[in-house]
Amino acid sequence: MTKILFSDKLDKCVERWKSAGFTVIGPVQRANISTYAAVEHAAELEFGLILPDRSIKDLFFPQSEPMLRYTIKKESIDTDECLPPVGPRIIFGARPCDASGMAIDDPLFGWDYKDEYWFQRRNESVIVTIACTKADDFCMCTSLKMAPDSCKGSDILLRPLAGNKGWQVEELTDRGREAFKTIADLLQESSEQAAPIAVVEKKFDLDACVAWLQNPEHFESRFWKEISMRCIGCASCTYLCPTCHCFDIQDEGDTYTGIRRKNWDSCSFALFTMHTSGHNPRSTQSARWRQRIMHKFNYFPGKFSVNSCSGCGRCSRQCPVDMGITETLQEISKLSL
Amino acid sequence: MKIVARHDEAPGVKTMRLEFQDPIDHQFFKETFRTGMFGLYGVYGEGESTFCVASPETRKDYIECTFRQSGRVTSALANADIGDLITFRGPYGNRFPIEEFHGKNLLFISGGIALPPTRSVIWSCLDQREKFGRVTIVYGARTVADLVYKHELEEWQERSDVDLVLTVDPGGESPDWKNRIGFVPTVLEEAAPSPDNCIAVICGPPIMIKFTLISLKKLGFDESNVFTTLENRMKCGLGKCGRCNVGSVYVCKEGPVFTAAEVSRMPASDL
Repeated sequence: MTKILFSDKLDKCVERWKSAGFTVIGPVQRANISTYAAVEHAAELEFGLILPDRSIKDLFFPQSEPMLRYTIKKESIDTDECLPPVGPRIIFGARPCDASGMAIDDPLFGWDYKDEYWFQRRNESVIVTIACTKADDFCMCTSLKMAPDSCKGSDILLRPLAGNKGWQVEELTDRGREAFKTIADLLQESSEQAAPIAVVEKKFDLDACVAWLQNPEHFESRFWKEISMRCIGCASCTYLCPTCHCFDIQDEGDTYTGIRRKNWDSCSFALFTMHTSGHNPRSTQSARWRQRIMHKFNYFPGKFSVNSCSGCGRCSRQCPVDMGITETLQEISKLSL
Repeated sequence: MKIVARHDEAPGVKTMRLEFQDPIDHQFFKETFRTGMFGLYGVYGEGESTFCVASPETRKDYIECTFRQSGRVTSALANADIGDLITFRGPYGNRFPIEEFHGKNLLFISGGIALPPTRSVIWSCLDQREKFGRVTIVYGARTVADLVYKHELEEWQERSDVDLVLTVDPGGESPDWKNRIGFVPTVLEEAAPSPDNCIAVICGPPIMIKFTLISLKKLGFDESNVFTTLENRMKCGLGKCGRCNVGSVYVCKEGPVFTAAEVSRMPASDL
């Protein structure tokens, strides 16, 4: 017997969570793009997606975020620090790759200087993940040593029952248990079996790829040029990636009043590393693609003992020129044979 | 911070002296600043720029910075007047370990607008002159006009306890120029300072550093006795924004000060 949340009770759950003060966020289909957004009713949630186009990163690390407001006066400058909006949230229906992506970035934002913007949102969010029963050709969680039902980064893991009837509930953290107390009476004990999880084919040998990347001789390999010839440097892969975290700081306003903002940035852009002198350490697109791969599978794990990739496959799925991490690591796998 | 003094160093290059407005910030700076560290200087509405603290760790009542006016932020800084307020974040990064240089001869090599970081180390050592051996400074710029800290160069030239070798690139000399003409690496090899018990500190554009390192090797300097500072583009200074790394090394946290031995282990094409 396991705890079951039946689909027909979900709208009541949403009601319950809302009256308990939670904002309920979930996968929704909007015009031409699917994303995670706040909903009023369970009917707005779209559970048929393999995964939304945009990741849950946006909810923790928004594309643009005010850090402080300034007002310049005659003798002084007034500044107001902007803290992230406060309030508990339930993210219902995240995918395991998205949830683990947030856990992957925790050490980065917590290392040395603790980023309050990230951790305030992390601490106020309950991530309710739904295990995947469907996958597409781009999914690659298994290649990253994860699975369509990985728990990493989730507070609750739901395993779908056959026929969209509901979900088996697995409470993973205190934060998850606390949030589910508010709907305890809406859950039922049942012996309903979970539907089989998606089959995600292993696409490359991660250990072999990492070993190849760690060999300093391969930094100058012709491979980087060949694999990235098509890259147009649009940065879609980095923006849609749940773990890409690079940002820029820009002022927006006039001489007297304005906002200092933290905005997404991307290692795909030439300006990202351009010196004032005009010298650019990563002056070619191939050097920039090498940086992205090296950062994810060599530098980041060197610092935080975890690869900066959760295997969602968005980089390949959404790439306008059919590149992506999958293809690159598949090729590296072949090189390391 | 408040601008309390400004000085035109060379065409487009200015030095500013800044004083803390908040005593708590000043106390923090006094406790943490060591020579080699950098800061992010900003003008609200324009943004922030990264450069070194050009004043020495032996003078912490103020911060001096020297910069070339070239982009949006540096133009706004250049247009700021005495009495204006600008922002400062820092000090960030590691430092030149000058206690380890005690009792040793010092060789400073610098080019153009890269004298400011070197100057912070030079004064940090000259302000406690007795702790060090011979001090040699080799400094070059494209033209005579491009030399920065001209008044301090005169001071160093007059001091008997400092050997100053000044040079300008061929064609950059003025009719009354009495110093060397030639590129820094060539002039350095001619001056041929001894590597014995000597620490070299070099700052300059990447191309100058590349050839100067070759010259130092020829002169017999061990890579572990040669220090330099890398100046990559940065936004946060806190090891998170993701752009200042050379290979796996984050310049903002693990640098900006590195030995030549450390630099030679970095992938050269990422520099």
